[in-house]
Amino acid sequence: MTMNEREPTQAIDAASTVALPRWRLSLWSYVTRETVLVALTLAAIVGASLVYPTSFPTFRNFSTLLRNMATDGVMACGMVVLLVSGMFDLSVGSMFSMAGVLTGWLLTRAQFPAPLAILAGLSIAALGGALNGWIVAKVRVNALIATLGTMQIFRGIAVLVGGPGIANLPSSFARWGQAQWLGLQSPVWLMLMVAVAGQFLMAKSRFFRRYYYIGANAKAANLSGIPVDRMLILAFTLMGLLAGLAGMAFASRMATANSTAGDGAELRIITAVILGGASLQGGRGTVWGTLVGVFFISLINNVMIFARLSPEWQSIVIGMVLVLAVAMDRFLSRRV
Amino acid sequence: MTSDSTTDVLLEARGISKSFPGVQALSRVDLDVRKGEVHALLGENGAGKSTLMHILAGVFSPDEGTIRMAGREVCFHDARAAQEAGVAMVFQERSLAAPLSVAENVFFGRQAVRRWGIIDRAKLHEQTRKILDDLGIAIDPATPLEHLSPAQQQMVEIAKALSLDACLLVLDEPTSTLTETETAVLFRVIERLKQRGVGIIYISHRMGEVFQICDRMTVLRDGVCQGTFAKEEVTQDELISRMVGRKSGFNRPARKRGHSTFSPAPENHPAEQAKEKRVECPLSFGEGSSALAVRDLNDGRLLQDISFVARAGEITAFAGLAGSGRTELAMSVFGARPTISGTILVHGQPVKIRSPIEAIEAGVGYLPEDRKEAGLFLEMSVAANVTAASLNRFGDWWLNDKAMERQTAAMASRMCLTADIRGRKVQELSGGNQQKVILARWLLVHPPILIADEPTRGIDVGAKQEVHQLLRELADEGTAVILISSELPEILAVADRILVMREGRLVGEMPRDGATEESIMRLAAILK
Repeated sequence: MTMNEREPTQAIDAASTVALPRWRLSLWSYVTRETVLVALTLAAIVGASLVYPTSFPTFRNFSTLLRNMATDGVMACGMVVLLVSGMFDLSVGSMFSMAGVLTGWLLTRAQFPAPLAILAGLSIAALGGALNGWIVAKVRVNALIATLGTMQIFRGIAVLVGGPGIANLPSSFARWGQAQWLGLQSPVWLMLMVAVAGQFLMAKSRFFRRYYYIGANAKAANLSGIPVDRMLILAFTLMGLLAGLAGMAFASRMATANSTAGDGAELRIITAVILGGASLQGGRGTVWGTLVGVFFISLINNVMIFARLSPEWQSIVIGMVLVLAVAMDRFLSRRV
Repeated sequence: MTSDSTTDVLLEARGISKSFPGVQALSRVDLDVRKGEVHALLGENGAGKSTLMHILAGVFSPDEGTIRMAGREVCFHDARAAQEAGVAMVFQERSLAAPLSVAENVFFGRQAVRRWGIIDRAKLHEQTRKILDDLGIAIDPATPLEHLSPAQQQMVEIAKALSLDACLLVLDEPTSTLTETETAVLFRVIERLKQRGVGIIYISHRMGEVFQICDRMTVLRDGVCQGTFAKEEVTQDELISRMVGRKSGFNRPARKRGHSTFSPAPENHPAEQAKEKRVECPLSFGEGSSALAVRDLNDGRLLQDISFVARAGEITAFAGLAGSGRTELAMSVFGARPTISGTILVHGQPVKIRSPIEAIEAGVGYLPEDRKEAGLFLEMSVAANVTAASLNRFGDWWLNDKAMERQTAAMASRMCLTADIRGRKVQELSGGNQQKVILARWLLVHPPILIADEPTRGIDVGAKQEVHQLLRELADEGTAVILISSELPEILAVADRILVMREGRLVGEMPRDGATEESIMRLAAILK
């Protein structure tokens, strides 16, 4: 494609209409982690439908499946922003339960009205996220150590305040999480809203595009006028807020704030985001891929139950898929 | 040449040539080092010194030529082979493990062990102490390395080399981070090594030092040996005139007047046109006004009392040797490095620049020195790279990817970036094209002041010429261009005014007419 200096616009138009030999670039370019994951997910759905034709492919089963993935899905939308910028947050599981427990405490002990308690719970979660971001971006403790620390702090606070948990939350709070619309429970709608918004924001918005630059090369991003530190603090804050929102939705649906809820969620969510195409090095990842990743994990779990296999099999299968998916990536990037 | 091949020749390199894609780094270089001799290797940045040293260290293998150690021909396939033959390097970047003790570092991976591989700490410390005593250095072998000063760490590095029975030691700019007293200690150690018959290749830009410590000097220029001299038979001036005078092959880029090449591309869509026009070349100013003025800038570490102006329509070049502080100065002006005092004025108005964002807002752009590390988003597309610093032109909330690609394509055609860039990642492009991508990023921002730090490093001559032409056109349009370059021919070919830095200070200013490589070098080199 050589361009004539006098007629740049013409040259560009010509270039955009001429189909470039993308196809010849090889089918391999279509084999990405996202497409492989979609293929695996479809294969699992078809397979399970054939084996359990009456019970698996039902609306009821899928609404359960979606409900089970809802809180992970909400949190994964925040996690993908962090992974894209080359960061991650291990404290989300603890934040998830701490937000629920603190809100529960405000509702039952302090007699806060539900909207105020929810607002307070979300604010605390966002503040906790901001704290993570501040430690990472300003104090420059790496994300692993920083969030490993806050993970234990948040969990400790949750247990300290809530003991094993706070049950019998008032219905003014619980009705939010138990509401249904079109046969799907409200946490599912929450996830879908966050995901749709997240997909558009990450793909199209100027603000979120900067995270891809930060993850690709933070130094270059800084020298290109992207406020790296501020952006990272905001990403962690968003993560905290979404973890709080998910924790709230869960406590509300159960009418109980459990201090051990969300244990292990952080690794499950990071796994889902990576299955969905992101990498720990940063610069890569999409919200839709992430959602497929979360859905895939929930699906495997669901199929295992149908197959009456013990839940340990779920870990084994997910672990294998994760390692194979990333290994495949290495292999593909070497052949290009 | 003064060397007559006697038996005390330690190293004899003959006819060493080495080329890299697009550049002949060394051609038929001879170098010999005698036992107990300190042999200086002199040359400008990029003269081929480090390539030659890397060949001696077995990191690169030469395209042709022979190396003899103590009369026997050797062939180093890797760094280990060179080490076993007795060559040891002490590089500027230290290759030591900071949290470990001095002894562990000296006997890195070769610690004395007892049964079952348990390290014999007493013996290890004893061996280390002996080596340190031989050098006349008082350091406790048990001290963690990170507690030592840079000078002491360097001694440890030398001790490590000796523990490997090195007979040829390469010291690359050993005094660049040392104080005067530390330098004196180093020189005492060097004297001891000489007495022991160790040969030393000493690379330094500091002429005074070279004459103080070295016995002979070899000068390299453009990868060609300019001769070897005994200390008594040359003067500093003679050496400098041998170091400069590189073949340039650069023509001075032509001036074009009243012809704007780099305002944003014409757009087909009127709405976008309006949107993108907003930031089009925001300021115009007459030639000669000072676009950027820096006064008494200090960073408390390297930069001292730096004051200069850069004028619109001019290319102001900063010359200086490696480590003279040019990049640090640029980063400080750009807000990417803290300063402790100093004022920056843009168009006569004092501005606060504490971050790159504020610098860009104030109208300063910076093309970083290391394009891969600090400039490019290698895994991202060309369009993403070109638009990285001007995302706000492509939408307040939502980005118009189509417009970004159109602008990129238009920019590419203007810059003769002829490679097929659609959908390509930047890492797939050649070095020259990568550099054009970063340049395009800043042309899109179109700041009134643009600092280009080594914009032609590592790219081929054709691309260099194109970059020079682009800088000249920018200046002609009214941009104040600041060029940092280690290539004197480049500076002489492109600059209107030349500022020379040395050890964190501005030591001279000269108009282009009248400046020669020699006069610049005389200012830049450390003469005593």
